Amino acid sequence: MPVTIRAPNLPTPQDALQRADASDEDMSDDDLPTAASGTSIVTPGETITSDPQWMRGHGTYVPPSTTTIVSTVAGHLHKTNKLLSVQALRARYSPEIGDLVVGRIVSVGTKKWSVDIAAPMLASLPLSAINLPGGILRRRTAVDELNIRTFFSEGDLLVAEVQSLHQDNTASLHTRSLKYGKLRNGLFTSLSGAGGGVLSRRGGVVRSKRQTFTLNTAAGEVDVVLGVNGYIFISAHAAKTGSGTADGKDVGITRLEEAVSETLYSSQNDDMTPAIMGEITRVSTLIRGLAAAGRRVDEDVIVKVYEGAVELEAEEKSLGIKGGEKGVGAVGVVEAVLERLELGG
Amino acid sequence: MTTAGKIVNNEIHLQSIHHQQTQPHQLHPPEHSDGEPETKKQEMPLDTSTYSLALLRLDGRRWNELRRIHAQINTQAAADGSSYLEMGNTKVLCTVTGPAEGRQAGQRGAKDNEAKVEVEIGFAGFSGLERRKRKSDKRTLEMQHTLSTAYSSLLLTHLYPHSTITLTLHILSQDGSMLAACINASTLALIDAGIPMSDYLVACTAASSATTSDSDNSDPLLDLNNLEEQELPFLTVGTLGRSDKVSVLICESRVRMERMESMLAVGIDGCKRMREILDGVVKEYGKRFS
Repeated sequence: MPVTIRAPNLPTPQDALQRADASDEDMSDDDLPTAASGTSIVTPGETITSDPQWMRGHGTYVPPSTTTIVSTVAGHLHKTNKLLSVQALRARYSPEIGDLVVGRIVSVGTKKWSVDIAAPMLASLPLSAINLPGGILRRRTAVDELNIRTFFSEGDLLVAEVQSLHQDNTASLHTRSLKYGKLRNGLFTSLSGAGGGVLSRRGGVVRSKRQTFTLNTAAGEVDVVLGVNGYIFISAHAAKTGSGTADGKDVGITRLEEAVSETLYSSQNDDMTPAIMGEITRVSTLIRGLAAAGRRVDEDVIVKVYEGAVELEAEEKSLGIKGGEKGVGAVGVVEAVLERLELGG
Repeated sequence: MTTAGKIVNNEIHLQSIHHQQTQPHQLHPPEHSDGEPETKKQEMPLDTSTYSLALLRLDGRRWNELRRIHAQINTQAAADGSSYLEMGNTKVLCTVTGPAEGRQAGQRGAKDNEAKVEVEIGFAGFSGLERRKRKSDKRTLEMQHTLSTAYSSLLLTHLYPHSTITLTLHILSQDGSMLAACINASTLALIDAGIPMSDYLVACTAASSATTSDSDNSDPLLDLNNLEEQELPFLTVGTLGRSDKVSVLICESRVRMERMESMLAVGIDGCKRMREILDGVVKEYGKRFS
């Protein structure tokens, strides 16, 4: 008689679910890579295949002196021709060249800044990779080096692009475009573990065509910056020309840049109406809810969910319900909105 | 499975004692572990000999029963990875930070191109029977070191050069099998953080219930609570998932060499059961992302 380890006496909900799980697996025998990307996930130590024709990709490993491919993370299996890789459910962001990221300055060096971009290592932003104020591209001078804190100081938020990667996967950033630079007038949100990975992710932020977009709300326009690293910044819409239009309509392209650069490195927030602050918070909550519900976070979904949430609120107000049937927290709101959208369309 | 055979023997032996319950029970003197003599001194001697009467332990379990295990994954949204684990009345909360840049650029990972694993264990003031300030004593340090070395070899640290993975464990309630609970909670939190590992690291405790008189008829016990831990010689064993590979083995009490094998066997089998339970938790959590 072999040793039997008894299950704990009281069947916990967890156990009940687990049993249901087990029966599911019997039904659909999708353990093999032929039935990849189903609903089930693989967990660390689980053998994916022992067929030597497959090649191992990210999230897998081949134990020494075997040909079996074993998963190392809990996630979904991806199959690209003969390459098997596993995308973890949640993981830290791994930078890639060209990614648009939102970051926070951690420390200021003599010629560069260290930026937290939620990657395993801090990224660096060299002084030579930013747009210096005072007109079009010019050489950086010793004076700029001395005034490095006037551009970015510790704790400042910025949006940047990954310019290059070093050997140990540390990223170098640049902000040499008017799209990039310091962030202000808004709210920072971190979706931990939901940033882009090596493979395309099902939930969370993914690399897409439009990472920055403007949302029309009742209180005015709101800018949303979706960093691929899972950091998100939502701000009141800034009129790009700023004071330039006050002078006259015929501002040249160089004048325009000058006008912008005056406010480029300002750390002063503009006055905002409580209504727009409310809308910013609403968008932020919805994005956090989407990530927590394991949904994809991109422009289409955010616009759809935002409009749904506004409608839901108006509906509840008119009916006199005080959000009684909604779930708890950001996830609850998002689920209520999505449910309503599915019913409607 | 040679180990299974051993236990079968034990069980048969046990049944035989059950019938010839004649000799008076001699209590095994409580084993004092070096770190913490103060916890033992007020304890009443626990009459473990009742075990051989009904084959039931103090909390009504049989020798091979685990306590109720409740585990949750991704409990804190802001952390890179987090978990909450209950093994009976032992309750542990674990958060993972990282892989992230170490606190100081100077003291990066020990090996230059691998991530460093740091472990911090904190005992809540209300976790034990007596409320006391538990500073980082030698036992806690040893637990931290055990976890750190175990996970350094388990995680694929070469994927994150120069970075640090920090495991923070909060012990909310202590009732035996502390190290095992910490290991199981850490494994879940690391899976939540998406850090690649070669397999689950799961742990369990096992003890030998033998008294001095009938040394042959020792019966191994699985998953000890606090009272049993103070009375019986026990070990904590951590294995890699489904395999029999032992990764962690800590035995702080003195125990006869012959009893070791059956203790280990039952511990390893407990680990396998534990892996199934934890795997169920992870799979259930994964459904949210389908």
